[in-house]
Amino acid sequence: MGKREIELRLNGVERRLEVEDQVLLIELVRGLGLVGTKLSCDTQVCGACTVLLDGRPVSSCTTLAIEADGKPVETIEGLADGTKLHPLQEAFIDRFAFQCGYCTPGMIVSAKALLEARPDPDAPAVRHWMEGNICRCSGYQTIVDAVLDAADRMRSAR
Amino acid sequence: MSAEHGGTTEHRVVGTSARRADGIAKVTGSARYAVDLSVPGMAHAVVVRSTRAHARIAGIERDAAAASPGVIRVLTGDDLLAAGLTPYYGHVVLDHPVLAIERVRFHGEPVALVIAETKREAAEAAELVEVAYEELPVVIDAHDALKPDAPNLHERRGERVGDEGMDEGEGGLATNICAIARVGWGGDIEDAFTKAHVVVEGEYRYPMLYGYAMEPYNALAFFDQGDLVVYSSAQHVYMVRRDLARMFHLPLARVRVSAPYVGGGYGTKSYTKVEGMTAAAACFTGRPVKLDLSVEEAILTTRSAAAHIRARSAFTKDGLLLARDFDIVMNSGAYTDNTPLVNSKTANRCFGPYRIPALRVLARSVFTNTVPSSSLRGFGAPQGNIAGELQMDEAAAKLGIDPVELRLRNLVGPGEEFMPGKRPLDADLKDDLRCLSAALEWPGATAGHSIGLGVSASDAGAYPTSTAAVRIHSDTSITLFTGSTELGQGSRTVLAQIVAEELGVPLESVSVINGDTGVVTYERTTGASRTTTITGRAVQEACRDARRRVRELAVQALSVSSGEIEDTAGGVRAKGKELSYGEVIEKWFGAGGEVLGHGAVRRAEGFAKMPPFYEIGCSGLELTVDRETGQVHVTKLTTVGDVGFAINPALVHGQDAGAAMMGMGAALHEELVYDGEQLANPNVVDYRVPRFSDIPDQLIHLLAERRDGSGPYGAKGAGEGAGNTIGSSVASALGRLFGVFPHQLPMTPERVWRLMREAKRE
Amino acid sequence: MLRRFDVHRATSVKEAVRLRQMLGEDAAVYAGGTELLLAMKLGVARWPHLIDVKPIASLREITATKDTLRIGATATHWDIERDTVVAKTLPAFARLEASVANVRVRAAGTLAGNLAFAEPHADPPALLLALGGRVVLEGGAGSRSLPIADFITGMYQTAIAADEIIVAIEVPLPASDVRIAYVKFQILERPSVGVAAVATVRDGRFVGAPTVVVGAVDEMARAVPTAQFAGADARAAGTRDAIAEAARGAVEPTADLAGSVEYKRHLVGVFAQRAVDSLLAQAS
Repeated sequence: MGKREIELRLNGVERRLEVEDQVLLIELVRGLGLVGTKLSCDTQVCGACTVLLDGRPVSSCTTLAIEADGKPVETIEGLADGTKLHPLQEAFIDRFAFQCGYCTPGMIVSAKALLEARPDPDAPAVRHWMEGNICRCSGYQTIVDAVLDAADRMRSAR
Repeated sequence: MSAEHGGTTEHRVVGTSARRADGIAKVTGSARYAVDLSVPGMAHAVVVRSTRAHARIAGIERDAAAASPGVIRVLTGDDLLAAGLTPYYGHVVLDHPVLAIERVRFHGEPVALVIAETKREAAEAAELVEVAYEELPVVIDAHDALKPDAPNLHERRGERVGDEGMDEGEGGLATNICAIARVGWGGDIEDAFTKAHVVVEGEYRYPMLYGYAMEPYNALAFFDQGDLVVYSSAQHVYMVRRDLARMFHLPLARVRVSAPYVGGGYGTKSYTKVEGMTAAAACFTGRPVKLDLSVEEAILTTRSAAAHIRARSAFTKDGLLLARDFDIVMNSGAYTDNTPLVNSKTANRCFGPYRIPALRVLARSVFTNTVPSSSLRGFGAPQGNIAGELQMDEAAAKLGIDPVELRLRNLVGPGEEFMPGKRPLDADLKDDLRCLSAALEWPGATAGHSIGLGVSASDAGAYPTSTAAVRIHSDTSITLFTGSTELGQGSRTVLAQIVAEELGVPLESVSVINGDTGVVTYERTTGASRTTTITGRAVQEACRDARRRVRELAVQALSVSSGEIEDTAGGVRAKGKELSYGEVIEKWFGAGGEVLGHGAVRRAEGFAKMPPFYEIGCSGLELTVDRETGQVHVTKLTTVGDVGFAINPALVHGQDAGAAMMGMGAALHEELVYDGEQLANPNVVDYRVPRFSDIPDQLIHLLAERRDGSGPYGAKGAGEGAGNTIGSSVASALGRLFGVFPHQLPMTPERVWRLMREAKRE
Repeated sequence: MLRRFDVHRATSVKEAVRLRQMLGEDAAVYAGGTELLLAMKLGVARWPHLIDVKPIASLREITATKDTLRIGATATHWDIERDTVVAKTLPAFARLEASVANVRVRAAGTLAGNLAFAEPHADPPALLLALGGRVVLEGGAGSRSLPIADFITGMYQTAIAADEIIVAIEVPLPASDVRIAYVKFQILERPSVGVAAVATVRDGRFVGAPTVVVGAVDEMARAVPTAQFAGADARAAGTRDAIAEAARGAVEPTADLAGSVEYKRHLVGVFAQRAVDSLLAQAS
């Protein structure tokens, strides 16, 4: 029992923290005030809690915080560059790809990982990658549109 | 009819797909939901839940829990009673205990509340609370609950507190009937059936559903010098305020309920949920207390009513309706909650917007030892639809008449009354239906593909009580106060657009403060698709009032007569000179200052006739079926949003898409299943909501804007209608594909497979 | 929220075995945690100690000889899906791994963990069984390898000894003309039925008997008796029907929210035929 010291790069900032072994990554992140990452199903199926751990999307509700030791962690708060929105964020706004917004951070973070792995996905590839993210409001199509739109913007920017 | 809203020059801001006011907050994760809030010194509560479906509470052993590390207090219902609180809530009948008293009536019912310094400590202590039960007979099925030998769930009914009348009186105390609604007209209905050329008769089942708003119920409560403050995920902050004021014997002015962004509502967050418990915890501990439920606990808090409907419809040879007869039984769970309203709406919405010479509807909502049921999107229309609208398709098949043609022959026209004494229909449903069927390319030509479609008109809007206020600042920027909560439906955006339009200011200069009873003005509810129509009108009135006050100020400040002042965009003109609102204000005050405008609407004038408007449902789809597995694939989904006027077309499309997808969930996959006394699937692993893979191949979202609504610019509500006819659309498409109409939802792959086998046998 | 526990990081297989011996039933082996942590959260199990095997470098490796593909115990579904060695030697398995659960579970969850948990509704066991896959274990008594059929002994039950850990999954590489198919039916979060088929096909006929394994529908994956199909015309309706019937007869489906026994048995027949069709559709 007792705490373990971990070092992680959280949204680009080096952090040194003490956590107990059983603390979940979502508890760590939200405990630090980064409440954009949301808890919903708590069983890994809805994706509202998605964060990027070493570039991979993980369910922070079922990931131990100590797994972040020595790794970069990215939450929704890490996407914008100050007030300059990430192309995914702009696309989600322009395409009305959210309503209540509770699933939105998880959607955007998951999509970011997709576009990093595959900068030019087609709609089926987007749907397959995002299958593990639930949205109860939108009917999903506007989210697919937004991710494809963001992919276009990011390719043009290169 | 337009797929893309062309926009008119008549309006500047309304009618445009303005970007959402909450966009940046939500895409950056900075939007705060009640679950994200915390205050210094906050304690945490965890609920202890009943492990019996029906039992007397013989005793609650809490000493071990109370002595557990970090625990501040362990509360039971008896504590609330002993302290002189009113330990019940409910907006129609006061029968829902905050924490169980004497008896538990469903598996999962809150029995005790543990409050501790941390959530972990509260959870660990909660496991140490021991409840002794004396089991009582259990009844899960609504028909079983109606039997004379069924256990009686409520020997005493609670106090009637609702200000919205139940359409009919309640059933007898000994019958487990929570509410009865009767609708009917036209004389001897049996005679009508004997005269019919064709009668369609059947029994239909609609499932018990979970709304799955992704933010589960939660609240943060504290007392501030005797005033109660609660932040929660509530849709109806003023209703919760009333429940809490009653509970703690406080004046309304000393209770403040605030909902920041709400993570999904769909009706599931209507009325009090966990606020009473949380406030009680704050009261007894003297600390701010947070309570947040898991999804499983949310399922154990509220679900929607399942329905079993026996229906008959009688037609002439030409397909004209002679009579319709419905016997509806709703499984409504352990407490009254919103059941009487859902029950009466199901009764109103089952027979459809048709000319019906003779009608008889009996709807009974029944208590069972299951999770209490409450509002869910559609509010009785989806339940009624699987019987009433599906029978139109079944009749068409029997009569040999095209089902679209059959509907056209029976639909009432705009301005025509179809429920005696109620507002005539404010929509051109025939035109909507023609538009829908054309978009779906009815009757369809692709082999193996089948089209289903339907129409509905819901008496919507709930009660037209609403107020709003606008503050015009000295720089001509505006703040709107509204009690409307932002659930994702876009109320903050739409109402701001109305303000910008009415006052002639840029949309960016309008800010919105909403959903906080301590700050904004009274709003009865946020739901029933009413915000655009009813709150929108209150907002218009507030803007008119503000303009009037500016003109009054201008008279004094500019020393002109009132006849010499004209309204302009963002200001006034007097004696050839134009001044902005801000300039008038500063001139009047000398420096700084502001103007406040207030608007109120009630059941009068444009809203005198009930319902305030009809919410139209006009959706359909085309599907194929994997003949080996029974899996349905939707190739085309089409919705017609007959909204009178779309203040923000993109938001209407979003609501239609979301409602239709929810309708597809209930039609194809969603069902809460009781396995004995407990739910078999109280989680989203085993309760299947729609996913990305369920997106139909082709989506068409149309708008019908005939300016025929009672809301601003002729608007009517949206948000529920598009899902109401999806159930019968799926069932009728399957029926026409296989020659046998299914009478149950959801049509899971297995049920479709069984339907195919049944069809082969016939 | 999880009950308190301690995580012990093993840096070698020996150390992991020693920890297993020391902590006994109080410890579970932990890598991705996607099944383990969920079980703990749901309260179905509880361990005060977790033995983290991820630091053991050798367990991450995916290698192949000319006969065998060896997948280390801490390789995730995500790793396996993308691995160049797997792509070269057993692409059908990479495709299966790409279909497991959702992208987040694939990112963290391990193949070994999937087998160790022995969840009946799982994808990998059927194909591994059909390919003759083995689980390589190491414990106090040394190293051993068990065929999948001997490793998974029941629902959530394996033959792992109290002091053993999985170190790898080994799959004998089939000859280059062997065709492999895996098809499944899934509506809920886990598959309702999965069928793996492995066969050599020449001029439309099976060379030898095809291997057909049905997974996700019974308490564990079940091999279908197929000796009678050796040399049979794979395209003939009679053969397809007979294979379907053999598959249906080889399982006792578990009734649950995904379907009744009758419906699931029907699906087994359907997907056995679709597995054969998939084999036939492949170029040799």
